[in-house]
Amino acid sequence: MEVLMNKHRYVCVLVAILTLSFSVFAQPAKESNELVVYAYDAFCGDWGPGPAIVEEFEKQHGIKVNLVSAGDAVEMMTKVISEADNPWADVVIGITDDMAQKVYDANVLERYESAALSDIPAFLHFDPSYRLLPFDYGNFAFVVDTERMKAEDVPTSLASLVDPKYKNKVILIDPRTSSVGLGLLLWTIEVFGEKEYLTWWKAMKENALTITDGWSSAYGLFTEGEAPLVLSYSTSPVYHVTYEETTRYQTVLFSEGHSTTIEGAGILSSSKQKGIAQKFVDYLLTEAQLTIALANSMYPVNSKTELPAAFDYAPKPQKSLSMDTKMLAKNLDRWLTEWTQVMSK
Amino acid sequence: MREDKNLQYKRFYRVMPLPSAMVLLLLFFVPLFFTLSSAFFTEQGFSFSRIAGVFTDPYTQRIMLFTLLQATLSTLASLLVALPGAYLIATYSFRGKRLILALSAIPFVIPSILVVLGFVIFFGNNGFLNRILMALFELEEPPLSILYSFPAIILAHTFYNFPIIMSLVSSYWEHMDGNCETASYTLGATKAKTFFSITLPRLLPAIISAASLVFLFCFNSFAIILVLGGGPQYTTMEVEIYRQARMLGQSGSAAALSLFSILVTSILLLWYNSTQKRLARSETYRNSNRLNEKKPATLFGKLLALLYTVASFLFILGPIASVVVRSFMASSSRSSAETFSLKWYRQLLSLERATGHMNSALQALSNSLLIALLVALCTVPLALTLSAAIRRKEKKGSMLELFGMLPMTVSSVIIGLGYYLISAKIRGGLLTSYSLVVLAHMVIAIPFVLRTILPEYRKIPDSYIHSSLTLGAGPLRTFLLIELPLLRGAMFTGAIFAFALSMGEFNATLTLANSSIVTLPIVMYRLIGSYNFQGACALGTILIAVCAIVFIVSELAKGGNHGR
Repeated sequence: MEVLMNKHRYVCVLVAILTLSFSVFAQPAKESNELVVYAYDAFCGDWGPGPAIVEEFEKQHGIKVNLVSAGDAVEMMTKVISEADNPWADVVIGITDDMAQKVYDANVLERYESAALSDIPAFLHFDPSYRLLPFDYGNFAFVVDTERMKAEDVPTSLASLVDPKYKNKVILIDPRTSSVGLGLLLWTIEVFGEKEYLTWWKAMKENALTITDGWSSAYGLFTEGEAPLVLSYSTSPVYHVTYEETTRYQTVLFSEGHSTTIEGAGILSSSKQKGIAQKFVDYLLTEAQLTIALANSMYPVNSKTELPAAFDYAPKPQKSLSMDTKMLAKNLDRWLTEWTQVMSK
Repeated sequence: MREDKNLQYKRFYRVMPLPSAMVLLLLFFVPLFFTLSSAFFTEQGFSFSRIAGVFTDPYTQRIMLFTLLQATLSTLASLLVALPGAYLIATYSFRGKRLILALSAIPFVIPSILVVLGFVIFFGNNGFLNRILMALFELEEPPLSILYSFPAIILAHTFYNFPIIMSLVSSYWEHMDGNCETASYTLGATKAKTFFSITLPRLLPAIISAASLVFLFCFNSFAIILVLGGGPQYTTMEVEIYRQARMLGQSGSAAALSLFSILVTSILLLWYNSTQKRLARSETYRNSNRLNEKKPATLFGKLLALLYTVASFLFILGPIASVVVRSFMASSSRSSAETFSLKWYRQLLSLERATGHMNSALQALSNSLLIALLVALCTVPLALTLSAAIRRKEKKGSMLELFGMLPMTVSSVIIGLGYYLISAKIRGGLLTSYSLVVLAHMVIAIPFVLRTILPEYRKIPDSYIHSSLTLGAGPLRTFLLIELPLLRGAMFTGAIFAFALSMGEFNATLTLANSSIVTLPIVMYRLIGSYNFQGACALGTILIAVCAIVFIVSELAKGGNHGR
């Protein structure tokens, strides 16, 4: 009896292996009328705008949207480029102006001049060829946990952040892996210039509690109470005011001004569902604006959007900084290498 | 007639390793080939320039040195913590010993993201330990800053690995006969002298073998370095490979780095394998030495045993327990204080409307259980047939063994990279994703199950098999009637290990499933990403509970089979 069972098991396993290995080669096609949308993790997450806007769009248009959480923004972009030969996504959400050059070079996006663009101020149209369309924007800023740092101790400028009294009190993010991290790197170059920015980073290395690979883990550690200051957006407190009714977390305004970032969405040229994809992008730029602004804690791009009072807690900096795209494209790799050299010692 | 038998015999053992070879080939060597081949192809075609560049770049060399350094220190630290424990377990019998052995297997299988989470909650600036100390001594600032530093890496690696050394060395020690030591005492040597000149040299092969295994794990460590290390100054090969490939999209240089890394780990594997053989050769024992076990005699001995047990319990259980405690806490809003609550478990079981990723928690639990069960059922026969072939073929056996052990040397990052490159080309439905995940978990589990079954297989005396064959049974009949029943215990342990490894697997699942399959570790990862730490803790608690149950059951079953 036992022998028989063992024999059975052996045969079963063999059959299982064979079926499994066959199914590897079987490739069922994607459902038609299904839109595949790549977005970065935080967009698709519990508190991100993804789930809500997808549900609403599906209800309105009767189109199934498969929202894929494709890693951090940089990782997502890498994924889109690496899949150029065998594309899956129709729409990609969340490539910022700072890092867009790589995706332009890969030539995977389709030009789309949405009618909604007319309601978006010109300074936000960062891609003159309209491969990426702006859907929200924000300023990089440090956020303070007022329960863990007294008001008089809060830094007032980037330069003052290197003071030894902030040792182990700041959570930073790696510019090689995160768009927010990259934002700070560019911000320091905008403020201190190419000659001095590394001096700031050398000093800052001592003050950083940790340098995480993405915004999510940095902000997670921050809300866990690990450090009182974190690199984020000037709009971050809006989320806490809206959903948690607390003003514990507040934006720190710096005297040097703040770097701006614009998030864009684009349609892949390989998409076979361009019509639906365009509808989705239009939806992002119009009806979804408030949801996106609230959940993403960013400013809406569409000037017709009416902001709730919570946005009073997202002070706009007196001075917005930005960088020339050509200069950025030319130097980015070198800056990242220099940064790595300094920070890895 | 005899010729015929011989032929049948040979053919049988030639077929035996085929299924496992197929799985390994499909899910290990093909992806590995994909990863590594891009190291040789630049825009100009085939070239060694990239590899030469990586090997001579000072930055890579620095990373390699750091990787070796942290692995060496982690191994030493693990040894330091593990050996006293191994001594206690091997020499004394005391209450809770079986429980310790069962629990010590847990760190090994829980996913590293959970370890990281446990460490932040327990050792962090706002962690349990610091909060207790701050309350006790009325401090303003957290007194212990352990995390985000080099010591944090060593600490986490020790947590992960000392139980492995402890259980491997103690089980060898337990089975060593005490004759030499008795002789030494009779001849007037002191306890210390006997230990250092008799016992330690006899134990050394087991210690080296366990230590080289741990070194391998620390060398390939990934998530711990990434999160607990605190930034670019503590970059290891694996972290750099991950950054190059996934973040910068430079699969070529990532592949060259992988090649470098695999070269080092392969040398280690060869060394490990040779220690394993030495171990098998010096194995003179048959039965456990359980009769010689004694209760701690002196008060000092008792105290020492107690102290060690408490300390290691704290060390293992601190981070784990803080995960469990945290899972029972929730606050109505982020600003109000946390109180006891079953909220996360209610959400998990859909008794309450779940928010965000908690939606998929129940699905993840059932997926994980199903996948782990399949993996356990499929891996054991594969490892069994592979062991059979290895045992029989004396010359080719060691090659086969190496073949089966290779997945252990290649880190999940490198193999994940291969899956990533392949998954960008293959796009199947849900069934394909499930099959790939099961197969990938099998590849990861095979070396460990092989390590469980093969030593037991080698212990079956040749005479049993020869008698069976002489009495006219074919090789299949012999395999099924003689060998299988003798290996039942090892197969069971192997299945438990495969099950637990699959439950905790994260990297390969994430790359292969392409967000279409959720498992417990994946939902946990997403919950952490959207900073729902309590929800992640609830899933972690379930994962730990499932593993604890299967390990305790297996310890009990072993106890029942004892003396067979």
